[in-house]
Amino acid sequence: MSSLSAIAAGDARAFGQWMSAAEPRVRLSLRSFAAQVDTEAVVQESFLRVWQVAPRIEPDGKPEVLLRFTVRVARNLAIDHVRRARRMLPTDAATLDRMRDADVPPVQAPDPLLRATIERCRNALPKKPAQALTARLSVGGQSPDTTVASSLGMRLNTFLQNLSRARRLLAACLSKHGVTP
Amino acid sequence: MSVSSLIEQVVGAFRERDPDGRIKASPAWHDLETADREVAFAETLTQRSLEAALDADGLSSTAKAVLARIQRG
Repeated sequence: MSSLSAIAAGDARAFGQWMSAAEPRVRLSLRSFAAQVDTEAVVQESFLRVWQVAPRIEPDGKPEVLLRFTVRVARNLAIDHVRRARRMLPTDAATLDRMRDADVPPVQAPDPLLRATIERCRNALPKKPAQALTARLSVGGQSPDTTVASSLGMRLNTFLQNLSRARRLLAACLSKHGVTP
Repeated sequence: MSVSSLIEQVVGAFRERDPDGRIKASPAWHDLETADREVAFAETLTQRSLEAALDADGLSSTAKAVLARIQRG
């Protein structure tokens, strides 16, 4: 069964597998909107809409029909957000069209050493930044930072500062090992 | 709140819903200047890549949040 067929049949696991490959490209397709919309909200909303309409998506004989459809949904959503917020003048319609139709850049496959190196770098983090990073990862985007911070006995700002420090140290460590995420 | 703390909030995958169930922008994102929004975008791209690499199923926080929403119905 193809991933589209499985997803259309309501297989959430297949949708998760497909999302894991599609997400970087969908996100990158919104790069030109980054200053005008919260792209994280758009990416999540786009995936939810695609899940809802997947049973009605027909293969068109070209590759990656689901990805192309999702990118179109994402860019149209982003344009709706821009228009609603009136961050662009009506005369900018041509700009919006160019942003909607721009090519989606390819994404490099992850470095096979990435996981092991991240784990090594993560284990080398100081205690508080490591706690903050682990706690945020463990909630998988399902709890607000205030709740996560509270579960660690940290004030929100302290939690965010620890996260920021963790990501900075992780990036430096990965770079030292020659790994680019 | 400092710019780095605002960016850190935007990099997180948690987003509130409006009364119609649509996903809302992070309040912190509205407080960022244009250049800092671009920084938040780039940082999110990197962060999701790390999350996916660390997860046994290759799922980022974004994908997990979407799946949780789907499974809640």
